[in-house]
Amino acid sequence: MAPSLIRNFSIVAHIDHGKSTLADRLLSLTGTMDAKKAVDQVLDSMDLERERGITIKAHTVRLLYRARDGQEYTLNLIDTPGHVDFSYEVSRALAACEGAVLIVDAAQGIEAQTLANFYLASDANLAIIPVINKIDLPAADVEGTRAQITETLELDGSEALAISAKHGTGVPEVLEAIVARIPPPKGDLDAPLKALVFDSFYDSYQGVVVYVRLTDGRVRPGTRVLLMSNGRSYDVQQVGVFSPDMRPVEELSAGQVGYLTASIKRVADAKVGETITETARPTAVAFPGYRDAKPMVFAGLYSIEDTDYEALRDALEKLRLNDPAFTYEPETSLALGYGFRCGFLGMLHMEIVQERLEREFDLSLIVTAPSVQFKILTTAGEVLDIDNPSKLPTPDRIEQMDEPYVKSSILVPTEFMTAIYKLAQEKRGEHRSLEYHGKRVHIRFDFPLSEIVVDFYDRLKSISKGYASFDYELSEFRPSDLVKLDILLNGDPVDALSSIVHRDKAYERGKALVEKLRAVIPRQLFEVAIQAAIGSRVIARETVKAMGKNVTAKCYGGDITRKRKLLEKQKEGKKRMKQVGKVEVPQEAFLAVLKT
Amino acid sequence: MYVHVPFCAKRCGYCSFNTAPLEDGSMVRYLEAVQREIDLLGALPWASRIRLGTIFLGGGTPSLMEAEELAAVLDRIRARFDVVADAEITVECNPESVTRAKLEGYRASGVNRLSLGVQSLDDAILPRLGRLHDARGARAAFEAARDAGCANLSIDLMYGLPGLDLDGWTRAVDRVLGWRPDHLSAYGLTLDAGSLWGAAGIDGLPAEQDQIDQYWHLARAAAAHGLEHYEISNYARPGFRSRHNQIYWHAAEYLAAGPGACGFVGRVRYSNVKATPRYCQVLADGALPVASAEELSPRQRLAERLLLGLRTADGVPTTWLETRLDGDRGLRQRIEAWRAEALLVDVADRVRLTEAGFLLSDALFVELL
Ligand SMILES: Nc1nc2c(ncn2[C@@H]2O[C@H](COP(=O)(O)OP(=O)(O)OP(=O)(O)O)[C@@H](O)[C@H]2O)c(=O)[nH]1
Ligand code: SF4
Ligand SMILES: [Mg+2]
Repeated sequence: MAPSLIRNFSIVAHIDHGKSTLADRLLSLTGTMDAKKAVDQVLDSMDLERERGITIKAHTVRLLYRARDGQEYTLNLIDTPGHVDFSYEVSRALAACEGAVLIVDAAQGIEAQTLANFYLASDANLAIIPVINKIDLPAADVEGTRAQITETLELDGSEALAISAKHGTGVPEVLEAIVARIPPPKGDLDAPLKALVFDSFYDSYQGVVVYVRLTDGRVRPGTRVLLMSNGRSYDVQQVGVFSPDMRPVEELSAGQVGYLTASIKRVADAKVGETITETARPTAVAFPGYRDAKPMVFAGLYSIEDTDYEALRDALEKLRLNDPAFTYEPETSLALGYGFRCGFLGMLHMEIVQERLEREFDLSLIVTAPSVQFKILTTAGEVLDIDNPSKLPTPDRIEQMDEPYVKSSILVPTEFMTAIYKLAQEKRGEHRSLEYHGKRVHIRFDFPLSEIVVDFYDRLKSISKGYASFDYELSEFRPSDLVKLDILLNGDPVDALSSIVHRDKAYERGKALVEKLRAVIPRQLFEVAIQAAIGSRVIARETVKAMGKNVTAKCYGGDITRKRKLLEKQKEGKKRMKQVGKVEVPQEAFLAVLKT
Repeated sequence: MYVHVPFCAKRCGYCSFNTAPLEDGSMVRYLEAVQREIDLLGALPWASRIRLGTIFLGGGTPSLMEAEELAAVLDRIRARFDVVADAEITVECNPESVTRAKLEGYRASGVNRLSLGVQSLDDAILPRLGRLHDARGARAAFEAARDAGCANLSIDLMYGLPGLDLDGWTRAVDRVLGWRPDHLSAYGLTLDAGSLWGAAGIDGLPAEQDQIDQYWHLARAAAAHGLEHYEISNYARPGFRSRHNQIYWHAAEYLAAGPGACGFVGRVRYSNVKATPRYCQVLADGALPVASAEELSPRQRLAERLLLGLRTADGVPTTWLETRLDGDRGLRQRIEAWRAEALLVDVADRVRLTEAGFLLSDALFVELL
């Protein structure tokens, strides 16, 4: 196929601006999806994505489009996630494209990830088509949004297409613009094969299915290919495209996007960023590759039933096959027994992993308080990476403690500035810069990662009536005055409830934490004392009184079934309790550590 | 067999039972239907193998029935089923609806046990509950029952009531025990979802600790009067436990008749159509008015046996508990805590809750499901 008839593009935007909805429209307009059969957000193929209405993974699909010039074009579309936890998926997707459709919600205007994604696309030298979506909304401000695009993104706002992805208004113009404004891939059909791996997943029948973007050459079943970073060769078994399900084709050639299988056993063997070439005739220069997506938060995962440890391990192994961004290794907790310390990209990622484990593998889990990874210099001169508070050496062995910082970007209407600065101060933010864009400001702060991973985003949204948006990336480690805050139940420290906090905040946090725990730990047969302590110094204390009365007065012939059902319901709730020593601690208690 | 009589003169604030005001003609229609139901039950293939050891007329207010009406129901049961010679036959009565003459009539029809709904002896509290009698009326009803020759007489009391303090409760308990009832049921108030109070809320409830104090006062006073605390809410003179209710707590079988009544046959728990007009209609159409039925799994059966048996002072055979704990280390550990706190005790080859354990029993039952 002539590269001149191919267009490769991603749809990028701030979360919820309508990427997946536009993708749906493009699919049905080009007849890739039968409009009648279509469910909403077709490309959001995981149950979880549909239920939550968010995209977690980038999705690829090939569209065939007969343009107004009479030619039939092959459009390779990659729908991307908007949530900051998954922003690494965006940069991978962009590497496989020549252009990007950048959506801006007409009612929300430009938000933090609009900016972040815009920079990613423009740094990758992609042609960018600005699209203003949701013009059907009463609150839509198309002209204001055009002005923002001109001012903030330095794109020509007057060239932005105004559409309603939901109703289809203006969507045909998007297809035309893709053909007209995005350059066709360059590439040499006769040069040695050079293909970029931009995604992959594990299939139990075919092994790893590798998503490739070919820049040069061709590949077909039988081609012996070389994975340049690890030097391994494989025989290609199948090549194909997504339309939107996997469909085998005879050949993929320069400029095209598709998949290949070659009996590759592990996702790790065909990493994203890998260069695939011919074994017999390798290309000269490999792609630069990507940095691995690095976990930012770590938490212990324990099954509530001790007997499920093996099942949990198997589940983690399976899940990781398709989610290399998540890491795990065995750990033991005095309180919780055998479990795993897992690394996640952020809290949403953590929630999703937990939910998938519980749902797809039928496990009941406790997640301990998440922690970021600290760097500890010991008096003996070692540097330790500590992502588990209970592994923190005693103070006398610590020379210096460093904590990770992020560079962040907040976009907010000027009227909320004061509130934002107040929140930033509370979260130990350091102001970096301030720019005015019309009625809005773009503020940059440096924050300790630990201050923003948990509830920062929710707080930000609530103090700005939902208008503020936020984006961040990891920057560096900085020395910090940190202490370990322990929680004791009836005098015994519970390692899974410990956290590492800034000294100035320890007292306040300890107090808030024990109050929260008192509220969530149910009354037991005996009194439970909850204490917060730094070292041997108790800084806060609460008690949960012993259970006084928990009895059903009447239980006669007509009451038995109702009674049993009532208790069964209570039992469901109790399934989320973990026995810590003699005390039963509900799952929420561990979450309390994170939400306090 | 349990027979439900679904009428009351007026609904009490705390009550969520299947009952409605008695209207003209509704008792007649009900009586016709319930006798039909007894006929249909009696015609079931396995009915001839059944021997009824107890009959319990509950409500509602069964004492709204005239003696002849009651006699007709009992006669019908005896006609269709083999009722043992010394069967325990109980009728629930409300003080305002009984007279010595009526109770003599009941006795003549075979009733040998009465349960009198006194609830309180505080004339300030009784009307708040929606009760139609006062303390004197309660006492008079008790006397009438004795005079009518009732040698097995039970009283219902309630504690944890709005406005009831420990002194008030102590007085009520002491007075009632002074009457020398053969049996006493005392229920801590619960706000059921289906009751007026459950829906609208109620002020003046005693604090949890006061309710606990009231429970303990009764437990001690009853013991001092020679009553054994044989079930969470029930006390009896030796030999006067309710045979009928023990069937429930032993998870044994029982038949049921009347609107909304629940029965247990074989492995199946079933319940009747609740609304009385509909119940009568179904029977007029010649069908049994069963609304729902559930077959218990072996696991559920064991759970019920434990839950019900542990409500009683006899507890359950230790082997039943062992069967439940088998292979569940966590549960075993948690049950040990009950023993350590002396809430659960082993007596010979049985295990049972103590009086302190009764107070927390639901927490144990959740575990044992
Ligand atoms: N009124 C209106 N709503 C729209 C339009 N386009 C999308 N939406 C709605 O906006 C919400 C988000 O749409 P999605 O397509 O899931 O957004 P997304 O950008 O893919 O979101 P993420 O993948 O989570 O980043 C959904 O409720 C859509 O129905 C539009 O043109 N008009
Ligand atoms: S408590 Fe008894 S008397 Fe009062 S309404 Fe309920 S069933 Fe009738
Ligand atoms: Mg999406």
